[in-house]
Amino acid sequence: MDGLQKRLNTSIQFKLSFTLAVVILVLAALAGVFSYLSALDEAHDLQDDVLLQVARLVDREVLTAPVPVRTDHGKTADNESRVFVQRLGETNPALIGEGEGQVLPLPVTLKEGLQTVDVQGESFRVLVKTTAAGERLAVAQEAGLRNEIAQDGAWRTVMPFLVLVPLLLLIVADLVRKLFRPIAALAHEVDTRDEAALHPLGDQALPTEIRPFVTAINRLLTRTARSMELQRRFIADAAHELRSPLTALSLQAERLSDLELSASAQERLKALHEGITRGRQLLEQMLALAHVQSATESASGPVSVQDIFHRVLEDLLPLAEAKQLDLGAESIWDVNLEVNARDLFVLIRNLVDNAIRYTPAGGRVDLAAEHHPDGVLLRIQDNGPGIPETERQRVFAPFYRMAGSDAPGAGLGLAIVEVIAKRLGAQITLSAADPLRKSGLCVAVLLPHAASRHA
Amino acid sequence: MRVLLVEDDPMIGAAIQGALKDAAHAADWVKNGTDALAALEFPHYDLVLLDLGLPGRDGLDVLTQIRAIDTKLPLLIVTARDAIEDRLRGLDGGADDYVLKPFLMPELLARMRAVLRRRSGDATPLLGNGVIELNPASKEARLTDGVPQQLSNREFALLHALLLRPGAILSRQVLEERIYGWGDEVDSNMVEFLIHGLRRKFGSQIIKNVRGMGWMVSRNV
Repeated sequence: MDGLQKRLNTSIQFKLSFTLAVVILVLAALAGVFSYLSALDEAHDLQDDVLLQVARLVDREVLTAPVPVRTDHGKTADNESRVFVQRLGETNPALIGEGEGQVLPLPVTLKEGLQTVDVQGESFRVLVKTTAAGERLAVAQEAGLRNEIAQDGAWRTVMPFLVLVPLLLLIVADLVRKLFRPIAALAHEVDTRDEAALHPLGDQALPTEIRPFVTAINRLLTRTARSMELQRRFIADAAHELRSPLTALSLQAERLSDLELSASAQERLKALHEGITRGRQLLEQMLALAHVQSATESASGPVSVQDIFHRVLEDLLPLAEAKQLDLGAESIWDVNLEVNARDLFVLIRNLVDNAIRYTPAGGRVDLAAEHHPDGVLLRIQDNGPGIPETERQRVFAPFYRMAGSDAPGAGLGLAIVEVIAKRLGAQITLSAADPLRKSGLCVAVLLPHAASRHA
Repeated sequence: MRVLLVEDDPMIGAAIQGALKDAAHAADWVKNGTDALAALEFPHYDLVLLDLGLPGRDGLDVLTQIRAIDTKLPLLIVTARDAIEDRLRGLDGGADDYVLKPFLMPELLARMRAVLRRRSGDATPLLGNGVIELNPASKEARLTDGVPQQLSNREFALLHALLLRPGAILSRQVLEERIYGWGDEVDSNMVEFLIHGLRRKFGSQIIKNVRGMGWMVSRNV
């Protein structure tokens, strides 16, 4: 019973089907009862009419010539429709009509007129009439006939309703499914949405009953978008505001290093400088992240992969040289991509920057661009320690730093990469550059065909 | 030289003023646009450092006012505003350069020198990156602490291409285009041959090979 209650509360289709079925059944029952009663009433009148007519006929014939009377209800007359006609009060009653040899043992004391009499456990409708000759004539028919007629009538009324119930259940199921198709489509759209896509849901195809709900969701989306925007702006503003004090700090530290300092003071000043540099890097990365997060529409144009690689290497070679890394390109399939140049630059730059940071001195970092059936595949590969499989998903989270890693960095580089990749529709896969020894990192960036076209 | 510093942040103002003094410049420091315009009534400044985020009157307004009085005064904007629009408005409004906070003092001083050089009209014709210097007039090159050496036309063309933008990577194709004139037959080893010759003259680190990409000279040091 609980299960039924639950289904009634949760499933519109079940509720509709259940309610309609119950209503129809009740209606059918009511109609059946009504039909039975009215049919019974009619049957009463009909039977009484029949008895009266038979009595009149018999009366007339008895006066003229005793002709057997046959009163069948059509050819298919059954037992119950037989009409008995006999004289009352005779010990050996002479049958006037035809009762197929049967005589009803009717009591002599019957009154004149119509009445219902029990004979041998069966109910009979009997008309007693005194003929012109003075004989008391009884015309009788089984009362059960009337009930049968009434029942037949009631069944004929109820039957269409009973046929209607399963048909209606099918129609309701189909209707509900069709009505809910746009809602299912909407659910799918929401499911496949990017989490940054907070534009309102379309409600054109939806039934009016659902629309207020969608409108409410849209209002929530708008509020969420506004609050996210506020939060983003706050981060950007905060980072921005930090620029001034950090500038002052770094300028003062610089001035300090111009003074004649003892060796230990210089060492401490160096540590201070490193701290300030790290603060600056963090600040720049936070601003960069806020920037890529807020830029939704960006101009795209043909961007040469080779040009981007050139600019990234030009930017990062000093860093690589300082660590004596061999930074270079393997094979470059030069294509023009329909993307925002700055986005692609920042994406590749951050990946190469990471490779340089995590590869020990004397190592090697390679860039490559290859043709791929689904687009163009950019690879950044190093022979550093790599990232264990269990950590590969987590490294994209902001401020995540791998345990035991002492490379300088704010931990925002890959978060920025992820935001940009999502915007470009690019797919990023991390794997071991040397699968046998499980070392080195290979970052593959697959840019889909939509973004690429041949140079 | 005498510098007018317009900066409302006390920490940064004090630091820049101190650093300018360390670099043997006289620096007057005002904290808002009105004071800056008042100070500029007397034309005895060689250069202005202008912050944009000033109280009361925005730095860009102050810039417009300054330019209305004096169109030639060298002026650098020093600001935390990194939006490209601000940068364009600053430069279009008549600033000679746009320095973004946070910056390092040597960078600011170098940019101040560059602006003064450009303003005085004697921008050096020499190309260099602080390690090697190339004189396009005489086609001579020298290490900053060495003696000038005459270059062949093709050596000059190659080094000139690289020194136009130190730090830029030039591919073989780009270098060949610079070395050969139209219709010249391209010798497949020429770039390597010339670079080998230049390295022998000036040291192997002077031109760097970037694997798979091309060649470059180091950025200014």
